[in-house]
Amino acid sequence: MLIEIKNVSKNYIMGELEVPALKNINLKIQQNEYVAIMGPSGSGKSTLMNILGCLDNPTEGNYLFNKTDVSMLDDDALSTMRNKEIGFVFQNFNLLPKLNALQNVEMPLIYAGIKADERRKHALEALGKVGLTDRIHHKPSELSGGQRQRVAIARALVTNPGILLADEPTGALDSKTGEEIMDLFRKLHAEGNTIILITHEQEIADHANRTIHIRDGEIFTDRANSKENTR
Amino acid sequence: MQFGENVRLSFRGLIDHKFRSFLTMLGIIFGVASVITMLSIGEGAKREAIAKYQDLGVNNIIIREKKMSNEELEEVRAKFSRGLTLEDAAVIAEIVPGVTNSASQAEISTEVKYTDKSVKSTIIGITPGFIEMLNFKTEKGTFINADHYNKSLKVCVLGSGVASTLFRNEHPLGKMIKIEDQWMEVIGVLQSKTLFTETVGELAARDLNTDIYVPLSTFLGRFSPENPLTSEIQQITVQMESSNKLVESSKLIDAILQRHHFNNTDYNIVIPYELLRQEEKERQIYNFLLGAIAAISLLVGGIGIMNIMLATVMERTREIGIRRAVGAKKADIMSQFVTEAVVISITGGLIGIILGVSLSLTVSLFTDINTFIKPYAVFIAFGFSVIVGISFGYLPAKNAANLKPIDSIRYE
Repeated sequence: MLIEIKNVSKNYIMGELEVPALKNINLKIQQNEYVAIMGPSGSGKSTLMNILGCLDNPTEGNYLFNKTDVSMLDDDALSTMRNKEIGFVFQNFNLLPKLNALQNVEMPLIYAGIKADERRKHALEALGKVGLTDRIHHKPSELSGGQRQRVAIARALVTNPGILLADEPTGALDSKTGEEIMDLFRKLHAEGNTIILITHEQEIADHANRTIHIRDGEIFTDRANSKENTR
Repeated sequence: MQFGENVRLSFRGLIDHKFRSFLTMLGIIFGVASVITMLSIGEGAKREAIAKYQDLGVNNIIIREKKMSNEELEEVRAKFSRGLTLEDAAVIAEIVPGVTNSASQAEISTEVKYTDKSVKSTIIGITPGFIEMLNFKTEKGTFINADHYNKSLKVCVLGSGVASTLFRNEHPLGKMIKIEDQWMEVIGVLQSKTLFTETVGELAARDLNTDIYVPLSTFLGRFSPENPLTSEIQQITVQMESSNKLVESSKLIDAILQRHHFNNTDYNIVIPYELLRQEEKERQIYNFLLGAIAAISLLVGGIGIMNIMLATVMERTREIGIRRAVGAKKADIMSQFVTEAVVISITGGLIGIILGVSLSLTVSLFTDINTFIKPYAVFIAFGFSVIVGISFGYLPAKNAANLKPIDSIRYE
């Protein structure tokens, strides 16, 4: 079992009120699964993603990643977890504008303490996987939306993480480019990557093999996508 | 996170925001430049003072005839004082404890001639004590020795200025020059001395290079002063064992002279070492003030850095979030921003050093203020700029490191 979430709750403190964002969530995700997490805004799906992505600790419950309890880790250990095991893909790409594509992809390896020539080698490999071999010396502002998202995916892949965590990865793209990116995810899944997709679009969620609906901080449904929906 | 990567990033940021970085650095630049300039001016003044007093001898007490008008002179003579005499010198050497040597000198100002050339000069008659006490070095020939004195030989040693005026293309040694109505043989030429530009106590400023030295025995026998009321000798220099009891000894000398001069104070007593100490004390206050100004400008420079770093952290919240999301630890972010502050302050420091050094050189080139740049002053200035960078970069860097990754990554 790659991911196991046991009785996880998360409360936010807003002024004097304690607002529950997640209530007693239980969830298991296997190696090489392709899971979509769906829900309207305010449902708690972002909070779940933050916890899955080791950006935040749960208020209660346990998060086991590869049988290690992540919920108890301190800030430094969480940083290391994010560096080694989580590959983030964001809606708005979140690339550093001053760095070129190659440097953006290399960045996680700097924090992993890998030497410059090794970094470059791994980064070029990752860029190859997402089909971006030219324009690697261009800054994000000189790339199209689809190309930027490919750079971001290459950055997520470069450390060979346990999971790819994609938060609305097609949200800022036109539908044709969005399709291309979803094709890329399908390919990466076929190559053995575990992918968790957070979205509010049914069409996007249909690309996954399993869909989890969140509503009011609770898991509403959790089921495998039927064959005809899965491409 | 590798240090080199941080430095590379910081320089990139510096170059990307040239004008802003320059403005940020200005405080440090001026702070460091002022530290260096002030220290070098202070050091220059100190060296000048030490050189000046070393010429007068740190263990010496100088008794000099007081400058008086004719009427005053007539008055003291009427009250039986003969002014400074060789007898005074002998009494002091005999009575005052701890005297190791003493020298008397008589002076007249007169025209000196060689062939068709002439120069205004001060003729100084000296005793052998003078030679032993003051380290006068000749460039050519020898200085006056005890033998010349004992035999009252008609020899003289020229100051470098006199020599170069009288003997432009000739070798001066062995030549005869005419002082008043006496022919004297040149036996030596002194090394050039720095100008005595300041009045030290009661000793007036003068150019030592225009002096001519002759044995006092020769002087007293052959030259007569213009004014017959002038005392026998003009100065007695007393060398003491150590500089510990100079003040007490000078009081004793004063008492002796009061008695011998029938309570006429027609002399001045100067203790070069005491003057040096006094001057140093005055300079200390001045140095402290300069130091305070430099410290304030560095502080202001540091605040400038902190200000811009705080703004930078705000501006780059998103970048921090992204870096944190891909695995940067708090310490990584912290060191990135501290490095950036230090790179700014060191760059400013280096520019400040260049500015300070050139300012010091300009000052000594275009004014008569001497400056001396000690290497340690440069290190201090540089060290300060590093410390300023670290200490004023710390708080903004800590702010950056403590940003929550979840919040900062969504920051617009």
